[in-house]
Amino acid sequence: MRSSLVALPKSFLGFMPLYLAVEIVLGISVLNKCSGVYGILALFTGHPLDFMQWVAYLWSVFTLIVFVQGLYLIHKPNLLVFSQICVLYTVDTICTCFFTLWFTTQWFTLEDKVDLSSIAGDASSTASQANYNPIATGKLTARSIDISGQSASESYEYSITILITLVSLIFRFYFNFILASFVQELLHHPKYLVDRDDVEQDLKNKPIWKRLWAKSQKGCYKLCKNLLE
Amino acid sequence: MANPFSRWFLSERPPNCHVADLETSLDPHQTLLKVQKFRPTLSDWVHYLFLGSIMLFVFIANPASWILKILCYCLLGALIVIPATSQFFFNALPILTWLALYFTSSYFPADRRPPITVKVLPAVETILYGDNLSDILATSTNSFLDILAWLPYGLFHFGAPFVVAIILFIFGPPTVLQGYAFAFGYMNLFGVIMQNVFPAAPPWYKIIYGLQSANYGMHGSPGGLARIDKLLGISMYTTAFSNSSVIFGAFPSLHSGCSTMEALFFCYCFPKLKPLFITYVCWLWWSTMYLTHHYFVDLMAGSVLSYVIFQYTKYTHLPIVDTSLFCRWSYTSIEKYDVSKNDPLAADSNDIESVPLSNLELDFDLNMTDEPSVSPSIFDGSTSVSRSSETSITSLGVKRA
Repeated sequence: MRSSLVALPKSFLGFMPLYLAVEIVLGISVLNKCSGVYGILALFTGHPLDFMQWVAYLWSVFTLIVFVQGLYLIHKPNLLVFSQICVLYTVDTICTCFFTLWFTTQWFTLEDKVDLSSIAGDASSTASQANYNPIATGKLTARSIDISGQSASESYEYSITILITLVSLIFRFYFNFILASFVQELLHHPKYLVDRDDVEQDLKNKPIWKRLWAKSQKGCYKLCKNLLE
Repeated sequence: MANPFSRWFLSERPPNCHVADLETSLDPHQTLLKVQKFRPTLSDWVHYLFLGSIMLFVFIANPASWILKILCYCLLGALIVIPATSQFFFNALPILTWLALYFTSSYFPADRRPPITVKVLPAVETILYGDNLSDILATSTNSFLDILAWLPYGLFHFGAPFVVAIILFIFGPPTVLQGYAFAFGYMNLFGVIMQNVFPAAPPWYKIIYGLQSANYGMHGSPGGLARIDKLLGISMYTTAFSNSSVIFGAFPSLHSGCSTMEALFFCYCFPKLKPLFITYVCWLWWSTMYLTHHYFVDLMAGSVLSYVIFQYTKYTHLPIVDTSLFCRWSYTSIEKYDVSKNDPLAADSNDIESVPLSNLELDFDLNMTDEPSVSPSIFDGSTSVSRSSETSITSLGVKRA
């Protein structure tokens, strides 16, 4: 029996069983991936989206569908499904890192184009407020001198922004290891062994998308088996 | 007695079963006896000390007169000591603590409050979700969408917790309402603490003031709900949101947290209606962003908070639901979830197939599944293993060994 490449956690935060952790991980991921659906609604609202935003939102919707499967099967896990989830979660982690870098650049580039004039009086009516998008129009205003001291300083705002982003990424990586550990345990458990003949047999007379889906699960299973078992 | 209540709810009630009965005694001695016998666990200590410290803080920080505060706390104490009222008010302690803290929040002196962040939420939203989803959804507005957004945000949200509590009490298993009060109360309590510790401006602020610095002297805004006020010819939302207790409490969204918690409890008790409850949460999410009251990251914080607290409550407090039963009076017993017994990765000592291979001393290579599996033959030599375990070994491809 081969050992896995890295030492994976055997419980969540040192005390919680892996299956409960996976339920939490997938639940949080599914909630977050709903962002894709709301982003795509830009189609109907007329808000302009660039290419990377479209890619991010469509990818979110796809991963949402994959992760939802896991939530339904967590108490009766299926190795093929969880292998697919584990591989896609890993790919998604890499994509998230890339998107985070990309959109961070976008945000700070936009901030550099700050218009020093105040827009406080520009959006007095509610109707125009709702139609007004300072970011889309590049009219972010600079922070004025804070007399009262009740508002956060620029450095405080940046620090908190970076902290939240980093903490979310760190959790993301930890969640990925939890999922990998769960799949590793499934691989070691005879109850969840995959009989390939059965899988091949089941695929006959199925629609092509189902066959492709099953094929991708099988590919993910092989990959997980090679890396984790 | 053949009144409608008996016909509807007590028809399936098992004889001599009292799990669903309510306490009707008014004798405080019963409560005192319970307290004497009570042996708190570590989690009980954490629970009561935490709530007690918040209550003490509110007692000191609230600007109401001392006499009034003492009277309120005495009344609460009396309601907790009397068994008939205790079963509701004692279990509602997390909710009462949240409400006490929430209504005290507006009296915190501005010079002692943390600084208000204006850029953090739009920045984090853009970094994590590609854009400000609130901007995307509020780009175009019309009266139909205004009404559609107003229904869950301005109406259902305020009545839903009570409706959910009543339905859970009647149609859920006994004690599920205690779990709901615990989870709902803690979610809101943590939410209000976070809102006070991390004051952040909502999307309407960015629309009105851009990213200029904020101060506690500013009034809140009804955001898109101002259009509803205009449409209905009232000023209810403008007045309410202008004088909100937590004006810069965008993060986390308790609208999102509450709706998620309600949906999770309903999904738990009535799993067949899951799509309906999920749709409600999605509808409310859309409405909060459309009305420019929250960023998507606020909604996520609220929902994740709810989800984590619900998961904890589900596995530590909630009774197991039997979907074949009609209402609380149909239950004969209350069973809790056994986390270790139901672990799908746990080994069952009675079943040789479910012993994890990692626990066994194996000196053969299992990575041989490319070999076609061989069905056992009646001409094979005698073997001591059971048929089921032999099939399992065959599927592993290690039969040859």
